[in-house]
Amino acid sequence: MTLYLSALILFFLAIFGTPLFAVILAASILGFHYLGVNLSVIAIEIYRIADTPVLLALPLFTFAGYMLGESNTSHRLVRVTKAIIGCMPGGLAVVAFVACAFFTAFTGASGVTIVALGALLYPALTEAGYRDKFSIGLVTSSGSLGLLLPPSLPLILYGIIAQQMNIGKNVAISDLFLAGIFPALLMVLMLSLYGLWENRRNPIPCEPFSSKDTVAALRESIWEIPLPFFVLGGIYGGFFAITEAAAVTAMYVMVVEVFIYKEIKISQLPSIMRESMIMVGGILLILGVALASTNFLIDAEVPMRLFNLIQAHVTNKIVFLILLNILLLILGAILDIFSALVIMIPIILPVAVNYGIDPVHLGIIFLANMQIGYFTPPVGMNLFIASYRFDKSITELYQAAIPFMIVLLAALLIITYWPALSLFLIQR
Amino acid sequence: MKKHPRKSFLERSQMIIYRVEDSILVGLLLFMIFMAVLQIFLRNFFGGGIVWSEVLVRVLVLWVGLIGAMVASRQGNHINIDIMNRYLSGRVKIVVTFVVELFTAVICLIVAYYSLQFVQSEFTYGGESFAKVPIWLCESIIPFAFMVISLRYFLLSFINFKNFIEFRP
Repeated sequence: MTLYLSALILFFLAIFGTPLFAVILAASILGFHYLGVNLSVIAIEIYRIADTPVLLALPLFTFAGYMLGESNTSHRLVRVTKAIIGCMPGGLAVVAFVACAFFTAFTGASGVTIVALGALLYPALTEAGYRDKFSIGLVTSSGSLGLLLPPSLPLILYGIIAQQMNIGKNVAISDLFLAGIFPALLMVLMLSLYGLWENRRNPIPCEPFSSKDTVAALRESIWEIPLPFFVLGGIYGGFFAITEAAAVTAMYVMVVEVFIYKEIKISQLPSIMRESMIMVGGILLILGVALASTNFLIDAEVPMRLFNLIQAHVTNKIVFLILLNILLLILGAILDIFSALVIMIPIILPVAVNYGIDPVHLGIIFLANMQIGYFTPPVGMNLFIASYRFDKSITELYQAAIPFMIVLLAALLIITYWPALSLFLIQR
Repeated sequence: MKKHPRKSFLERSQMIIYRVEDSILVGLLLFMIFMAVLQIFLRNFFGGGIVWSEVLVRVLVLWVGLIGAMVASRQGNHINIDIMNRYLSGRVKIVVTFVVELFTAVICLIVAYYSLQFVQSEFTYGGESFAKVPIWLCESIIPFAFMVISLRYFLLSFINFKNFIEFRP
C-alpha cells in the first residue's frame, strides 16, 4: 500500500516538472531503504561514472558538437551538399535531408539542427518553389534525422548503458555505429521518395550542376570534410578507440573553428564550453543516479518478473515488438531522449533479449522510435522549437509534420521487422 | 553620469562564486582534452603513455559532469518532464514549483549526507586512485556537488515562497 502510494506521489512529482534525477534518486532511496541497504551505496554507484572508460566520449563529442553549432558549419554543409547532389531528382529536398542527417549526427538532436540548419533551409525551400507546409514539415521532422548515424551521442549512451547490464551478449559501440548506417539511409531514401511524390504536380527544376561551384564549395569546407572520416575511418581502420576519436575530434574542431575559420573567438570559448558541459552534467547526473536505481531493479528481479508477466500474455515476438514500438513512441514524445534511455533500457533490454531480440538491433529500434517521438504531436519537443523559431502556430506544425511522421513510421516498421538491415554489417 | 546601483554583498559574492565555478569547469575540460590527446601522441609516437593518465581522465569526466550539474542547478535547468506545467498559471504554478524545488533540495541533501559517510569511510580504509592521489579525494566531489545542488534548490524554493507571499493577481 505504502509502496503504491509513494510510486503515485513520485509519478505526480515527475509530471509536474521535478528534475528527473531527483525522481530517480527518490525511487532508489525508497527502494534501498525498503531492502535495508545502507544508502551510501548510492554514492558508490554514482562513482561508477569514473569506472566507465567510454564515457569520456560523451563530453568530448558534445563539446565538438556545440562548437560546430556555433560556427558557420551549417552554411558550408548546405552549400557542399547542394553542389554535389542538388542536381539529382528531388533536388533541394534531398539536400535538406542529407545535410540535416549529417549535422544531427555530430551535434546531437538537441534542437540545434532546426535552429541552425532549418533557418537556412526553410527559406531556401520555399524560394525554390516547395509548398510552405511541405517545407516547414521537412525542417521540423529532419531536426532529429541522423540520430542513428555515428558519432551520435544517444547511440554512445545506449552502448554504455547496455554494457553495464551483463546480458550475456556483447554490445560494442563500434557495432552500434555500423548498425545505424543502413536504417538511417533507409529513412533518408524513403523521405526523399516522398518528397518527389509530394511534388509530382509541382515539379521543381533541379539545380544545374556546376563544377566551378562544386570546387568552390569543397574548397570552402576543406577543413570540415575530414571529420566523418576521422570518426569512421579512425575507428574502423583500427587507429583509434572511440574515446580517442572523440578526443581528436574535439581538439581538431577547436583548432579549425578558432584558428583557421576564425568564426569563434577565443573569448567565446569559455561560454561554449560551459554551455556544453551543463548539458553533459545533466546527462551524467541522470546516468549516475540511474546506475543506482538499475542496481536496485536487478536486485529486486524486476526485469525478470516483468518478462514473466508479459510472456504470460504475449508469446509472439512480433506482437511484443509492436507493443514495444507503441510504448516507445509515446515515451519519445514525453521524455527527452537521454532520460528515456537511462530509465527504460535497464527495464526493456533484458525483456527484449529474452524474446530473442539482438541488443544491437534493439538499440536501433529504440532510437528510431525516439527520433519520431521528437516531432510526435502533441508534445514532441521539435514541434515547439520549430513553432518558436519559424513563428508558426503549433497546430500548423502538427499538420505539416504528420505526413513525414507517416513515412518515418513506415521506415520504422521495416527497421523493426527486418533485423538484417541493421545487423548485416556486423554479421550477427 | 549614469548611476550604478550598488550591488549588495550577497550579490557580489554570488558573482565571484559563479566565476570561480565556471573557471574550474572550463579548466577541467581543457585539461581533460589535453590529457586525452597527449595520451594518443605518447602512445603512437613514443610507444608508451603515462600509466595513470587513463584513470585521471575518467575521474575528470566525473568531476566535469558533477560541476556541470552544479552550474545547471543555478536556474534549476535540469532535465525534466514539462507537460503539465504548461497548463498551470498564477498562484498554482508558484506553489507547484515551490513543492518540486523543495523536494529536489531535500533529496539532494539526503544523498549528500550519505555520500559524505561513504567518503569518510574511504578516507579511513580506502587506497590510492592514481599517482598517489587518495581515492577519497576523487570521490569527494560527490557529496560536495549534491550539497551545492541542494543549497541551490533550497534557494530557488525560497524565492518561490517569497513570490507566493507577494503574489498579486
